[in-house]
Amino acid sequence: MRPRVLIVDDEAPARERLRSLLTELDQVDVIGEAVTGEEAVMRAAELAPDVVLLDVRMPGIDGIEAAKHLNALEQPPAVIFTTAFDEYAMKAFDAQAVGYLLKPIRKEKLAAALTHASRLTRPLLQKIAETRSHIAVRYREGLRLIPLEEVQFFFAEQKYTTVKHLKGEDLIEDSLRSLEDEFGSAFVRVHRNALVSVRYLEGIERNSDGQYFVRLRGCEAPLQVSRRMASELRERFRI
Amino acid sequence: MSEGTDESLYLPDFCTSRAALANVLIVELTALILTLAHENVGVGFWTDLSRTSLFLLWIGLAGAGLLCWMRVPLSRLQVAKGSAAVLLLIALLIAAISAAAYYLGRSSLVQDAGAGILFPPDLHGFLIRNVAIGLVVTSLALRYFYVTHEWRRNIEMQATARVHALQARIRPHFLFNSMNTIASLTRSNPALAEEAVQDLADLFRANLSDKRDTITFEQEYEVARTYQRIEELRLGSRLRVDWKIDSLPRKALVPGLMLQPLLENAIYHGIEPQPGGGTVTVTGEISGNLITIVVRNPVGNYENEREGNRLALANIRERLGLLYGERGLVKSGRFDNEFIVTLRFPHVEKLNAT
Repeated sequence: MRPRVLIVDDEAPARERLRSLLTELDQVDVIGEAVTGEEAVMRAAELAPDVVLLDVRMPGIDGIEAAKHLNALEQPPAVIFTTAFDEYAMKAFDAQAVGYLLKPIRKEKLAAALTHASRLTRPLLQKIAETRSHIAVRYREGLRLIPLEEVQFFFAEQKYTTVKHLKGEDLIEDSLRSLEDEFGSAFVRVHRNALVSVRYLEGIERNSDGQYFVRLRGCEAPLQVSRRMASELRERFRI
Repeated sequence: MSEGTDESLYLPDFCTSRAALANVLIVELTALILTLAHENVGVGFWTDLSRTSLFLLWIGLAGAGLLCWMRVPLSRLQVAKGSAAVLLLIALLIAAISAAAYYLGRSSLVQDAGAGILFPPDLHGFLIRNVAIGLVVTSLALRYFYVTHEWRRNIEMQATARVHALQARIRPHFLFNSMNTIASLTRSNPALAEEAVQDLADLFRANLSDKRDTITFEQEYEVARTYQRIEELRLGSRLRVDWKIDSLPRKALVPGLMLQPLLENAIYHGIEPQPGGGTVTVTGEISGNLITIVVRNPVGNYENEREGNRLALANIRERLGLLYGERGLVKSGRFDNEFIVTLRFPHVEKLNAT
């Protein structure tokens, strides 16, 4: 079976050109197009392409973050980045030896990239860019992206991590530890099992048993805080 | 001055007439100071000045000759080592010439002419004093040469930086994306591709043109529109530009190449990061003798933290300042969900180039 390809670029002429180049090459099947990073992740979850041609600079979720989310899919596609000029990304790719295609893309180079397309490993991707701006939640029917600024807290229970956000809560696979490493500046660990968004911090309470709880904006249930963290939080955020 | 030696050697080329003149000047001033400080033992002021000048000129000219001759080997040394070498050379030279003067004074030629009084009576003191004075004066001169050299280099660097800033006006990002668009259109719509190539050529011609300080607003508007057409091909319906410039006289003189970079900034920072695109609004008004041009673009939630390009704004600010002095004004800032740049400058029919 021929590889199935998803084209992702926010600019119509760029998508058009890729499509016509791929048609000429006649070694893959183009199964769809997406115009934003979000759409790319949705479409990929839905269509399960073998290869995603992914523009780096896109509005909203950029190509690098989209690649990270693609990597979290059940069957992660191989990703080939495309870019016209993005010094920052190009430096990062070069540093990690991740291949990319420069626009305007040459047919031969595209053919070679398709032949050698392979999956990017998660650790490799993690090295490339700064933090994600969204959290990916997997469903049976696909994948959803939750903007980080809507996340109130992460909560760890045994194997899973729950993400509580403005529109509800979901289970994710990231460990609290890795989330803390990635979003350490915007989130604070209040307890062994809870990572809380600084943005939603409202206050700290103490119940009659002498236990501390943190109150979050828009959250009913208070979260337990370790004694040590309680005073640190008070000092750091003046709550 | 050859390149490469710049770094280490800050000395002027003493073989040139300019440096020779400076050299003579330094020598004469030193002679004057020494004579004024002297008590004129045995001879009058003018005689004293003349013999001191004569003696110092020998040293000065010989020193210049020596440094001119040693220029190449000296230039290979670092600043500190080079300076030490120069001081050493000068000290040796002064010692040699002093000794020569002393022995000349002892010679029968001078003694017979009865001019012995003009010459130093003892060698040791004469030698040591001369070398010490020479070292002090040479150090001062070296310091002076070093400071002027650094100052000149600084100015050169600033000029180079400015040229680079000017050359960076069109973003590579825009260039390569446009190339990509054209590559695509070549297949799907050759006529449009042709137009895009022409537009791109016009735009680059305008950007590369000599610094014509002011052009008519009509020309300026045309450049910005050309740029807009190219971006529209790429961004499609995501880009909307609302021109509200009817009240601006088409023949008004405006600083060249300011609308296009402002529009580019607005699109790069304000439109491209928005999935749904947005509208850039350009208003141009004239009230009294003042032209006001305002460019505004939306600022969305998607602050992808693009590397801010303040170059364009700084450049425009500088050019307005050069052209209109205090009467030119550039303001920029974020207000609510908009980024607004305001330019204000006098409406002048004919400007004297500054």
